[in-house]
Amino acid sequence: MRYAMVIDLSRCVGCSTCTVACRAEHGTPAGVSYNKVKKYEVGRYPTAKMKFLPILCMHCQDPACLKVCPTGATYRREDGIVLIDHDKCIGCRACVVACPYESRQFLWDIRNYYPGHVPTPYEVLKQKDFERGTVVKCDFCLQRLEEGQLPACVVACPAQARYFGDLDDPESEVSRLVADYRGTPFREELGTQPSVYYVKG
Amino acid sequence: MLKRFIERVSKSKKPDASRNMFGLSPYKWKPVDPKEKGKRQVLYGLCRGCMQGDCATLVYLEDGIVVKTEGNAEAPPTYGSLCPRGKSELMGMYNPYRIKTPMARTNPEKGLDVDPMWKEVTWDEALDIVAERLRKVREKDPRGLVLCEGWGQRDTMLRLPFGQAFGTPNEIGSHGALCTVHYPSGLVHAGYPVAIVDLEYCQYHITLGRSLGPNFATAPGTRKFARAIERGMKLVVVDPRSSYEASKGEWVPIRPGSDLAFLLAMAHVMLFEIQEYDMWFLKNRTNAPYLIGPDGNYCRDQKTGKPLMWDLEENKAKPFDAQFEDIALNGTYLADGVECRTGFDVVREEFVKYTPEWAEEICTVPPETVRRIAKEFVEHARIGSTIEIDGFTFPFRPVSLNTERNVTNRRGGTYADLTGKIINMLVGNIEVPGGCLSCSYRGPIMGPTEDGTVRPAYEAVPKPFKFPPDHIGLEEFYPHQHTAPHIAIKSILDPEKYYLDYHIEAYISVGGNPIKMNAQPHTYVEGFKKIPFVVSIALHMDEPAILSDVLLPEHSALERFRVAAFYPQHQSIDDEVNGLKMIQLREPVTPIFNTKHVDEIFTELAERLGILCGEGGLYDHLNSNIDWVDKTDGLNMNGEYKLDINRKYTLEEIVERQIRGWPYSGGKGLKDLKEKGYIAHWKPRKEFYNYYYFPDDKTRHPFYFLGLKKVGDDLRANLIKHNISFPGVDDMDYVFDLYRPVPHWVETPEFRAPEGFDLWAINWKTPYYSSDPGNVAGNPWLAELYTKDPYEAVICLNPVTAKRKNLKDGDMVIVESQYGKMEGRVRVSELFHPDAVGVSGNYGLGTIQSNPLNRIGPNFNTLLSLDERTFDGVSGGQDTAPRVKLYKKEVPK
Repeated sequence: MRYAMVIDLSRCVGCSTCTVACRAEHGTPAGVSYNKVKKYEVGRYPTAKMKFLPILCMHCQDPACLKVCPTGATYRREDGIVLIDHDKCIGCRACVVACPYESRQFLWDIRNYYPGHVPTPYEVLKQKDFERGTVVKCDFCLQRLEEGQLPACVVACPAQARYFGDLDDPESEVSRLVADYRGTPFREELGTQPSVYYVKG
Repeated sequence: MLKRFIERVSKSKKPDASRNMFGLSPYKWKPVDPKEKGKRQVLYGLCRGCMQGDCATLVYLEDGIVVKTEGNAEAPPTYGSLCPRGKSELMGMYNPYRIKTPMARTNPEKGLDVDPMWKEVTWDEALDIVAERLRKVREKDPRGLVLCEGWGQRDTMLRLPFGQAFGTPNEIGSHGALCTVHYPSGLVHAGYPVAIVDLEYCQYHITLGRSLGPNFATAPGTRKFARAIERGMKLVVVDPRSSYEASKGEWVPIRPGSDLAFLLAMAHVMLFEIQEYDMWFLKNRTNAPYLIGPDGNYCRDQKTGKPLMWDLEENKAKPFDAQFEDIALNGTYLADGVECRTGFDVVREEFVKYTPEWAEEICTVPPETVRRIAKEFVEHARIGSTIEIDGFTFPFRPVSLNTERNVTNRRGGTYADLTGKIINMLVGNIEVPGGCLSCSYRGPIMGPTEDGTVRPAYEAVPKPFKFPPDHIGLEEFYPHQHTAPHIAIKSILDPEKYYLDYHIEAYISVGGNPIKMNAQPHTYVEGFKKIPFVVSIALHMDEPAILSDVLLPEHSALERFRVAAFYPQHQSIDDEVNGLKMIQLREPVTPIFNTKHVDEIFTELAERLGILCGEGGLYDHLNSNIDWVDKTDGLNMNGEYKLDINRKYTLEEIVERQIRGWPYSGGKGLKDLKEKGYIAHWKPRKEFYNYYYFPDDKTRHPFYFLGLKKVGDDLRANLIKHNISFPGVDDMDYVFDLYRPVPHWVETPEFRAPEGFDLWAINWKTPYYSSDPGNVAGNPWLAELYTKDPYEAVICLNPVTAKRKNLKDGDMVIVESQYGKMEGRVRVSELFHPDAVGVSGNYGLGTIQSNPLNRIGPNFNTLLSLDERTFDGVSGGQDTAPRVKLYKKEVPK
């Protein structure tokens, strides 16, 4: 079993539903986001176009973050998901520097959504999941996977641009997409062997 | 009584300056009810993050707190997907800037930056004050009450009958004056609100001034769009900016405000260069062959009075419904001694001058592009082909050209939309698979009048003339208007000028904010200040709220109980919803503040006013009203389920009756609806295309727009009869130039803007900001996105233009139209036409008690005009693309 995600860039319309779906699933504090959609333009007038690139933790097979973690807080599971054990994380931030995809964020502080206000009831509930002085990132919605559901970003995408499954299974949707459309990871040359592939970009 | 109340509660002649200003200090949330600890709950939800309002959701609660909204994977139309607004909805509920309890002002001075010195009052006190004041208005003249609705509050079924029972004609909308997209679809399709594309089959789609879904990330639209693009549909987006959608197809840049020229040129190419038409459609399903006399009216059979057509074989004129050997589409003929021409020829003749070379001067689209697109459109139309659906044979025309607000909203905008209809009719794609469909009620609505043409419906039915006028938005003078808050505010400020013989004494805001969302905010503020009594059914401290005398706080969207009928999709359809009739449920979250459901408020007010029960009361009107858009397919009070007008009902009781009386519920009720959150009934797909009900030659779409001419002629006659000029426009020909039966080129005043105003400001909706239900700009989750988005809340400029003006990324600039100015930071981008100044959404303005997020960002609408001479005279639509000048803001060192 090797969990992987495929993002169809021809379908992606840059709406950022994935970003908010992730926030809604995990209740990340203000300013913290496990998924970002890079929005940029290519070409010149009169043929310029917008382009979109959703970026999340790539759950690399040879993760740069894992190599630099001094305490072993960052670890990789058999199924390919890279996680952080927050009991072991000392907040040194070496992983934040090492990650070439900017997928990790350090919790300098837990800020409230409404500046100048106290946490909303939602935040009171969710902020318990976050420890100031540690690093956080996408976990492929492990809790949802354990309940037999797909990651929140995959389900929410209105353009149905995101796919998730087992790359070890050659008949799975993700395997077929990677094979049929020559899916490649972002910045493959960095050699970290990401588990997130992009097609039709 | 209000004055005495204010004096009493303030206990002194001066307002009490020691009161804590609303919104200033952090709100102390109540602790979680211990009984809720450990509880987990999932409710059926119905998103209200945008205008659509039909995305089915699941609302998850832990410990009684909403922790997430998710698309309902089992339910149409979104099958689990959602959008940024829907996902952020809970932050609209847990919003410390919400109005949390009823309040009354104690400071008589009003302004956006003036503290009303709110005093908290009980619900009974608040409702008593409001009812007492409204009673006086009703006794004096019920027309004195304005009810202003908007996208902020779509979960009411009692607002309309409340106004009817009160006796005021003055229900206005805050929205819509910048989106007058309805008349031509009501005229040609008998449909509403707009005409959309069949994304199941369409092969070639040309879209102008609108969104199919991705541009502002509606989940159902985006789903369909992605599938259509993937199966190979060719998309052509004619737009001053390379939008999300343009980036997935072919972008045709166009000068802002000039779409009419492009459309006239494209029609010219089809009429004079390509000349391949759906002849059968034109001859048998339009009034193009009807004979037109020198006065512009139909030539009519002397015996029957029916419009005539010419039979080429028999060489004579006959009534349109006679047997014909060969209907003439072209030619000049003598009918009863009168020289007549076919409608087709009359239309075609007008278009001879609209060459692509002529158009290029105005719209900058290269002539070869116009020609190529016209050719591709005709080729892809597959004229003559058919398709069988459910055993019924339809014409198959897999092309559609659709226009909406950024095309229609300026002088001549109605002509632009009508020209789009002509383009579609030339290939015969109206209301057939693959083509151009209206998005409303599906059924036998395209039936013919006695003249054989589609009976106009919805906003194509002119409102009757009356003088002096009754309607504060002057629907008597704009009989095809959509909404007219912009006309209403001027009538409020100067009733005499606008021929009104009464004054507005009270205003109730129900989810509408014309101050921020229309134009000239400070004119609106002056209008609001003039109204003696203003009430807001308020969610947060927005501009109407801070100018109110009493605030009646309402539930946020998640807290509102609602059962709604699903309307056919607003932007496109495909097989996911084709044929779907559905009612959807929102189970409410327990309210967190001392708020009420909007319909509870109307019930309480109506009861206090004595207009809830009895004949002519609220319930009586509710019983007889039929859903405006979806007619008998909506939720109405039917048959045995009508209300007993002499007793009071809870909202659930009314809804129970609506569900049971719904034609497709099979007698089920609310309890059954709660099983899945929706009740769906799938009609045969053939019944989805309105061609089905009047096929072949059973009806005719107007190609020569005699209906428009007639309304114009009648209005002109009425002005002359009463010896008055058109309100706000001295020269009536300036208006009636827009009521001709054949679209033609007209300039907007912006084309003749003074020197210096060399650019055109444009605006668009975005994934974070479509309209403003629930205060999207103040939602912190959305704010995190839009503050980081490179194209959001900035002033976008083409690099050549930026260089010419010596501007670079990040420079602070002033954008100034002839009507207002605003400021923002420059973003240099290749995605924009060199003449465009692009500003998304509508940020800024706000009040002294708003969420600070509501006070920042460029306020596009400040640039827009309230001058009648800039409107489209038929729809009343305002110009969304004013000429502007742009210069660096001098920052003191």
